[in-house]
Amino acid sequence: MMTNEVLSISTAGSEATLPPVRGRVVRSRWLFSVLTFLTVFGPGLIVMEADNDAGAVSTYVQAGAQYGTRLLWILLLLLPVTYFIQEMVVRLGIATGKGHAAMIYQRFGRWWGMFSLVDLQLVNFLTLVTEFAAISLALSHMNIAPKLGVPLAAIVLIIMVLSGSYRRWERVTVFLCLLDLGWVAIALKVRPAFGEVVHNTFVPGIPQGGVTASLTFLVIAIVGTTIAPWQLFFQQSCIADKRLRFSDVKWARLDTFLGAVFTIVVAGCMMLAGNAAKMHAVTFFDPAQMANDLHASSGEFVRSATLLLMINAAVLGTTAISLSSAWAYGEVKGWPHSLDMPIRKAPGFYLTYIVCVGLAAAIVLIPGAPLQLIILGVQVLAGIMLPSAIIFLQLLLNDKEVLGQRFVNRPWNNWVNWTIIIVLFILSLILAAQVAAPNLFPAS
Amino acid sequence: MSVFGLLRPATVTDLPENHFVVVHPLDDVREQKVNTSGLGTMPMTASVKLSLMALRGYLIVMMLLVLYHVLDLAGVFGPPVH
Repeated sequence: MMTNEVLSISTAGSEATLPPVRGRVVRSRWLFSVLTFLTVFGPGLIVMEADNDAGAVSTYVQAGAQYGTRLLWILLLLLPVTYFIQEMVVRLGIATGKGHAAMIYQRFGRWWGMFSLVDLQLVNFLTLVTEFAAISLALSHMNIAPKLGVPLAAIVLIIMVLSGSYRRWERVTVFLCLLDLGWVAIALKVRPAFGEVVHNTFVPGIPQGGVTASLTFLVIAIVGTTIAPWQLFFQQSCIADKRLRFSDVKWARLDTFLGAVFTIVVAGCMMLAGNAAKMHAVTFFDPAQMANDLHASSGEFVRSATLLLMINAAVLGTTAISLSSAWAYGEVKGWPHSLDMPIRKAPGFYLTYIVCVGLAAAIVLIPGAPLQLIILGVQVLAGIMLPSAIIFLQLLLNDKEVLGQRFVNRPWNNWVNWTIIIVLFILSLILAAQVAAPNLFPAS
Repeated sequence: MSVFGLLRPATVTDLPENHFVVVHPLDDVREQKVNTSGLGTMPMTASVKLSLMALRGYLIVMMLLVLYHVLDLAGVFGPPVH
């Protein structure tokens, strides 16, 4: 069996073989560590926080509105789950320098490669439509005509990636991620019972009424919205595009862990916003309506911030999901695919991104578009795709031919990951049964 | 203004003790990653192959089921009964 040896030549070769590099000499190991972490920081936070997209906002506030703070413990449980899955992606991306789609194509053959790509593109595109639907909804509640605001949002999203600089895109996107701290301000403003929040975060419990069909599906929706298939493709491609080095593994892990913590905290704050609606007996169909109806009890800040953060969530989701599509398509087609390339050098990559964003925005503007069906399709397809996507990730992380001893999964990794896969499969089967025979699950 | 300046190779390779050089990954020399070009598809045991075949069947059935369900909800097969 052929086994690859990991070879590192970065900043450690001889003068004869190294060109000048841009860098900074520091005299403190501590400062060196901090600065190195800051240069690596980005993909982990972005992949996690972009998953708090429009659909996630809707799911978390609905969970808060229906069950108050009683489901906060599920978010805490999902923190290690989401970290362990994305940590595998980090190792695979750094070791191979290739995207996830390219690896599936190479190691599992054409059928699985095509299936993964088509499924990813389909789910991603449907998700993009829901992102623009949320932008449209929030804009209409802010008295901005969607016909004007949605195309404007699409143009901004396209301009974000067209600078030909990975770093510029990353800085803007990290800034947008940090804006989501506004959810913490909203959560503080609606003044939840602090003791109850802490208790329900750390002590698992079933809400009053017991395990019902609606609770089961809400839990599946929370799991499905916290861990999404596009995240696997996005982070691996992002790491490959940023050219993270073998020595960056520990910093990329830290980035991913901090991203997971940040995301779960923000998700919890979204649930607390929903909890405020429950406390004030506000009923709503979507988060924009909730924001409007909370105005009387919680003030203008909560209303405006919720609407703006809904748009921010959708923008973040759109740029990350569209990029995961464009990277995956570029990898499989063999096109140049890097944010660090100008559009003339990677036309197929940028065109895929532009088509994804433009078409999704256009569909939302069609009067009478079946948005409810699209949302249903997204949830079900993502739920079906996720366990199988993680199985491929798990098999790739046990591929010693590719990863060698240094990056391959340890036995404890496999135990944790197979447990996660089994749980996700059970949830996926419940979802499948609900699709196949909805009458088996009476509303309760 | 960037805190990173252009460093000569000698500065990078011959650092005095307790001096460290921070380089952004995109500014660094390209690393040679693991070579996967000649590997082809992954060798699998019969049980893994069988499991993947079962997974393929499950996914095809589920995709068709979802398609049917969505078309049903859209009223393609007549008015929904539930």
